[in-house]
Amino acid sequence: MLAVLLSLLVVMIALVLFAIATSTLYLNTYAWWDPKTQERTFYGGVLGEEQHSFSLIMPCRHEEEPVMRATLGALLNQTHRAVEVIISVGHDDPGTVAIAQRLAAEHPDSVRVSVEGSAVKNKPLQLNAALMMCRNDIVGVFDAESIAAPDLLRNIDSCFVGRNADVVQGAVQLINFKDTWYSLRNCLEYFTWFRSRLHAHANKGFIPLGGNTVFIKRHLLNQVGGWDTDCLAEDCDLGVRLSTLGRQIVVAYSPDLVTREETPDSLKGLVKQRTRWSLGFMQVYAKGDWKQLPTRRRRALAWWTLMQQHFMAFAGLVIPIAIIVAVWGDFPMAVTLIAFLPLIPTLATIAFDVCMLHEFGRDHHFRVSAYDYVRLVVSTPFYQLVLAFAAVRALVKFYRRDFRWEKTSHSGAHLTYVQHTGEVVGA
Amino acid sequence: MSRTMTVVAAEPATAPSVLSQHVTGPGKWGRMRDGVRRIPHDRAVLAVLAVLLVALAVLSVWNITESSAFQDDEGTYTSQAFSVLEDGRLAPYTYWYDHPPLGWIQLAFLVWLPQLLGLGGDTHIGAARMVIAPFFVATATLIYLIARRMEVRRPLAVVAAALFALSPLALTIGRQVYLDNIGVTWLLLAYYLVLSPRNALWHHIGAGIFFAVAVLSKETLAIFGPSLLLALLNRPTWTNRAFSVVGFLVVGGAALALYPLMALLRGEFFSGGGHVSLQDALVYQFLTRSGSGSIWEAGSSRAELLQGWLFYDRPLVVVGLVAAVLCLVQRRSMWIPVGIAFFSVPIVTGEGYLPAMYIIGILPFLALAVCCALNMAWGWLERVADQQTPSVRRAVRAAGAVTLAFVILVTVAPQWVGQNRTLLTHETNQDWSSALAWVEENIPRDDTVLAPYAMWQDLSASGWSDAWSVVATEKADLDPEFLNQHPEGADAIDWVVVGPFVESNIDQLGLTTAGEALENSVPVQTFGGWSIHRVLND
Repeated sequence: MLAVLLSLLVVMIALVLFAIATSTLYLNTYAWWDPKTQERTFYGGVLGEEQHSFSLIMPCRHEEEPVMRATLGALLNQTHRAVEVIISVGHDDPGTVAIAQRLAAEHPDSVRVSVEGSAVKNKPLQLNAALMMCRNDIVGVFDAESIAAPDLLRNIDSCFVGRNADVVQGAVQLINFKDTWYSLRNCLEYFTWFRSRLHAHANKGFIPLGGNTVFIKRHLLNQVGGWDTDCLAEDCDLGVRLSTLGRQIVVAYSPDLVTREETPDSLKGLVKQRTRWSLGFMQVYAKGDWKQLPTRRRRALAWWTLMQQHFMAFAGLVIPIAIIVAVWGDFPMAVTLIAFLPLIPTLATIAFDVCMLHEFGRDHHFRVSAYDYVRLVVSTPFYQLVLAFAAVRALVKFYRRDFRWEKTSHSGAHLTYVQHTGEVVGA
Repeated sequence: MSRTMTVVAAEPATAPSVLSQHVTGPGKWGRMRDGVRRIPHDRAVLAVLAVLLVALAVLSVWNITESSAFQDDEGTYTSQAFSVLEDGRLAPYTYWYDHPPLGWIQLAFLVWLPQLLGLGGDTHIGAARMVIAPFFVATATLIYLIARRMEVRRPLAVVAAALFALSPLALTIGRQVYLDNIGVTWLLLAYYLVLSPRNALWHHIGAGIFFAVAVLSKETLAIFGPSLLLALLNRPTWTNRAFSVVGFLVVGGAALALYPLMALLRGEFFSGGGHVSLQDALVYQFLTRSGSGSIWEAGSSRAELLQGWLFYDRPLVVVGLVAAVLCLVQRRSMWIPVGIAFFSVPIVTGEGYLPAMYIIGILPFLALAVCCALNMAWGWLERVADQQTPSVRRAVRAAGAVTLAFVILVTVAPQWVGQNRTLLTHETNQDWSSALAWVEENIPRDDTVLAPYAMWQDLSASGWSDAWSVVATEKADLDPEFLNQHPEGADAIDWVVVGPFVESNIDQLGLTTAGEALENSVPVQTFGGWSIHRVLND
């Protein structure tokens, strides 16, 4: 009797894992699923005339001057003409405030500084404070360490017109893939997220927005009361709320229009960042706004998406355990073989990762070596373990109600890469 | 080059509409609407196809339990399917990796249905044949669909399906309980997906999975791998080549790997004392199994087998091979001759064991080759006709159609009609039934009986306690478990049921226990090729 129950349990876990791995495979490869899909995921092209004006918010906290200067430089270098930038800083961070004011003084017509003054500090508070100062049609957010492509805003503008969008999510790409063992995986994760997964979400009518290179009509943003200041994943939360309102959210990708960023500069930083995201997703899930989505299918998708971080963590932890149990657990052959089923989509996902790394290198003019491909495959289980650890850590924090903001610090590692590609493309 | 589409900036007024058109495309609903609008136009075609499908279904089960004669291999797979269904085991005896088990696992999933409905003439092996029937129908349908994907004209695609379904060779072994019949359907499904005009990644992943299912149903179908890969690769424009090839290979390969994994988990991957192994089975199948001789050697069993295939259907084999050569001309049909070539290599150059049903794998390819060649010829005819006046054009077309019909009538019809009439009307399993009935009525259930696999399942299900009281003829010698169950060996056997192939099997496989029992026995009842012998034990 016990043996039968255990067998049933193994089969059930295997089937859940299979579903998780297959959905990961589906989302990761969605953009390549069909040539038509691939076309659909690109920007639609640039219109002759500019139709909108932009207010870009650049939230900064404990940043270095070269990093901020590079980010601001890329924003001011836009080919779009109607652009203003609000650098958003906190009053308790005098160093960054000083840098921001110095930079604003250099561009008095187009750059202003918003100093947020509340006792507790987090990103959504800074964003809301800056929003009050925005004057233009569309509000965009750029993290302090991200380099926008020069033609980005003109394309975004056309996207708002051509697709009648309320929100446009552009793509972000981490690019310092050679720096550490985890940065390669991290870069590829961003690649699949913005190149493929988000498009699948947009297509199905539920989408967690990213916190960077995201553009929203200002009146709409004011209408929903800006960002949720209690939420660690304020970007995801905003996406959920706008999805429930049935707003037109467009995701667009083009390799030469991605905003380039760097990975966290240490493993500890990565874990902190992931914990924050997972915790944020948990908050959004707990808030329950997603339950207002119009159809059962979308609600199911929302549930699946918001739980995704945990699924991945769960899968990373349980797959090895499941195999050990299956091999040495002395179960009937059929049960054992079913326990191995999740391995098929998992292996396929890793194989496709290799293809994507190739495409990533091609898109951004990076030389990807054979060693990088090996590194990618070998680091997979370890990276999965890191994500799993972060998710478990988030879960503990969630039940202890510890929602403090752990900031990811930046060294500017992506700047050398940006310079490098600039040279390649220029040549 | 930038992949961002740049719409001409000089025409801002038209740009938005171009944009939105580019963005949305026809969409799911648009496509569906278009489809609905087309239906009335195609209604006649749909009706014709429906009629053909029904005809095919009737043909697939007509006289199926009466002709042809039940074979030992059919009995083996039937018994293994029921073993899966009833006991959750891969075989009633020790499973020894003779074939990957997925073929009869599929049988097991389906075979209870004809039993429940009382189809299959109340015999197990008949019920199993009823399960093969849908695979036969599906194979013929897939031939039609694949031909259509290759842009073969619809009437000629129907001809291809008919060439297969009406071929006496296909109609004979294609409806018997052979694993090849199950595997071929999956193989064709893989081709169908690979030839999808949309180049969608999931089609190619699906093709990998279905190819794995085909090979796990019957391992010999693996020989079509290169042809399938060629069909996948050989296309003029392609955006996701690397993804498609990787998806096809990795997912297909991972699914295939479940079989060696199973052997590994059972501790039966490598050869070793006291257990069967995948390694031993492969060595046996490919190296040590007594061969069928060379095809060039008159009187060898390989040469005889080839004669047998030609006896059933010379036209399809010969015309198909010629047509295959023509298929080399066209890029999109090149995979057909490649498949046929790879398939033929073991027949022509090998001397190893060649099973009689091996030919099943190639029949759809021959039918497709014929229809592709005809399609090319017809295209040539039309190009010639197009330069003429309309009335001449009609005349040329009519002449072409009449010639084609005439050729079919003269070359194919005489042999096929005779063969198929025999197949669809004869009753060849009467003696089998009588022998079975006699055994069931006259032999006490505590006696030990040796019976050929062709009758084993039906006999064993009629009241004997287990697989070691009614024993399949070969197993008394080849499964070591027999001596554990019956330490006294041949003396334990009380009866021997002798079918048409028992004596030659005893001879070829060197079955000493069975031979000894038969030698010490006297026939007590005979029905044609079947007889029941009582063993005289001291």
